[in-house]
Amino acid sequence: MDWRKSAQVVLLLLPGLGLILAMIGSVLYIAVAQSFGYYNLTGESGFSVEFWESMLDRKIYNRSWRYSLYIGFFSAIISVALAYPLAIWLRRPFAGSDVIGALLKAPLLVHGLVAAFLFINVVSYNGIFNQFMQGIGLWDGPRRLQNDQNGFGVLILQVWKQMPFALLIMIGSVQAISDDVLDAARDLGAGAFTRFRRIIAPLSLSAMQAALVIIFMGAVADFSFQVIAGPTNRQSLAQLMVFFKENGQWNDAAVVGVTLMVLALLCAGLLALTARIIVYGRIR
Amino acid sequence: MIRKLMATAISLALGAGTASATDLNEMSWDEIVALAQEQGELTWYVWYLQDELRGAVSAFEEKYGITVTIPETTNSGQKDKLRAERDRETGDMDVFATSFNTASELDLSDFFYDLDELLPDTEGRAQEIGGISGEGYLFGFWGNQTGIAYDPAHVSVGDLPQSPEEFAAFWAANPGKMGFNYEKGGSGPSFITNTLRVLSDIDFYNPESSPEKIASLQGGIDFFNEHAANYVITASNADSITRISDAELWMAPAWEDHLAGLQKRGEARSDIAYYIPSMGMSGGGNGVAIPLNAPNAAAALVFVNWLTSAETQTALNVSFGTAPTHADADGSKALVPAEQRVYQTGWASKPFYSDMLAHFVEEVVLER
Repeated sequence: MDWRKSAQVVLLLLPGLGLILAMIGSVLYIAVAQSFGYYNLTGESGFSVEFWESMLDRKIYNRSWRYSLYIGFFSAIISVALAYPLAIWLRRPFAGSDVIGALLKAPLLVHGLVAAFLFINVVSYNGIFNQFMQGIGLWDGPRRLQNDQNGFGVLILQVWKQMPFALLIMIGSVQAISDDVLDAARDLGAGAFTRFRRIIAPLSLSAMQAALVIIFMGAVADFSFQVIAGPTNRQSLAQLMVFFKENGQWNDAAVVGVTLMVLALLCAGLLALTARIIVYGRIR
Repeated sequence: MIRKLMATAISLALGAGTASATDLNEMSWDEIVALAQEQGELTWYVWYLQDELRGAVSAFEEKYGITVTIPETTNSGQKDKLRAERDRETGDMDVFATSFNTASELDLSDFFYDLDELLPDTEGRAQEIGGISGEGYLFGFWGNQTGIAYDPAHVSVGDLPQSPEEFAAFWAANPGKMGFNYEKGGSGPSFITNTLRVLSDIDFYNPESSPEKIASLQGGIDFFNEHAANYVITASNADSITRISDAELWMAPAWEDHLAGLQKRGEARSDIAYYIPSMGMSGGGNGVAIPLNAPNAAAALVFVNWLTSAETQTALNVSFGTAPTHADADGSKALVPAEQRVYQTGWASKPFYSDMLAHFVEEVVLER
């Protein structure tokens, strides 16, 4: 390819790729530079590793990235695990399958903040869940369920919001698997689980990986569910970043922001790779 | 058409309709009001109760024919905007609200008009709140106080805890019935700060912060950790009040004006009562200032004059339960009886305050 053609390719790519690189690159550059002491809005600017050093020693930071990974990992796994059987069930149309599919995807239309506030109302001390449990005689009195320390409330909200998304991604892939292939496996004596493990999972692996990665990245960076329904004794990375920013600690916020980006990228890749190894039994 | 466009461009370039500090100093009050009405609009950056305040300023709009726009903003967001816009010849903000205890983060003379020179009458208007002076640039418009909201159905007036020891006794007798926040609002942090202050010997009003000074808080940290099983950490100021209103909690720190506003709008139970414990809880207030690059400085000045007047302060007390910031205003609609105002303490000084709160989070909240 001569230089004219190379230049033509670059020029053709520029409107799309250039915009992406400029937008993401500038944000990334500012965040990384700020985490090393540059662009200090309220004090001296200059290269420093002080912000990283002090942050790595802080309990709040170390607990925060572990907690964010916990939420991201389990949200992705549970969402995909629930979406798979539903995708298989809805693989071939049946009477009412359209309605069921639409109902399952309804949470995509509800904003996360609305869902979080509704959830808090449901699980509040005198909310309908507590009233129901007392009404059927399982509990003697109301129990404190709001902002539970294990983050189960956040996981429930994440799965409620993300499972339809996983379903949306995976259903096309599962529907594309030919009946002939599955019938042949059945004829050869493969049971339901074997058909899933040996045929459905490998043939829908790419969709599963995409769902895992996208859900993981969204959940690991969660802010809205966490601030409303999350535990009060730990903070997600996004929440911690905003906490520092609100206090005017821009460099500390940048350290947390860079951590969030790096962890999301690395762990999403790791999650996709692990899914491939589990399905195929090896990397290929 | 082209002539019209050119005339508009030239008038904009020359800053028609705006007035510098020097211009305003040379004008009589009547001339300032006339110019304000010519400007016809102003933008007030205030970070809380925006919807309610939009209603409250309608009296000003009717009186002067000047439209007030209150944009959606946050406390830190509008401060960042103020800093970012400092070098612009004409900014977006006409009136800027900030709390007195964080006003020290800004060099006021670098950012704002000297209102002492410009307002027609400053007598009775609060220029110093919580021991912090507005230096003539910042005038109080919103007095506020933190205290303890409680459910009188469960806690009688005679049993109200007044000291850390009495709070501990209440927690032990009623586990899980008192909660407080450490983020998203200052009421919980006020309770935490004042408890730590009472249980330590250090000066909370000296901004100096050092590892030794922070280590001196250990008595208070131990106090909170010893009783950790008996109190609840809530998610925010609003969450604390909601959970008292829902009868889950019996006591929680709250802002006086926040609770009064919620009760007035029927969003919190009207029987929830409020007091300031004798160990002291922090109070202060918010003020307004006019940025040097305000596009409608004359209108802003007329607005500040109206907002800080005795009449408006009385009206705010009735509508929001605020403590008036004008000596001649009537403050009888507040939740706190006047005799309890003596228990008001100032806010701990920054950066010590920030370090103390960060230490509390690390050593108490994260240990739960």
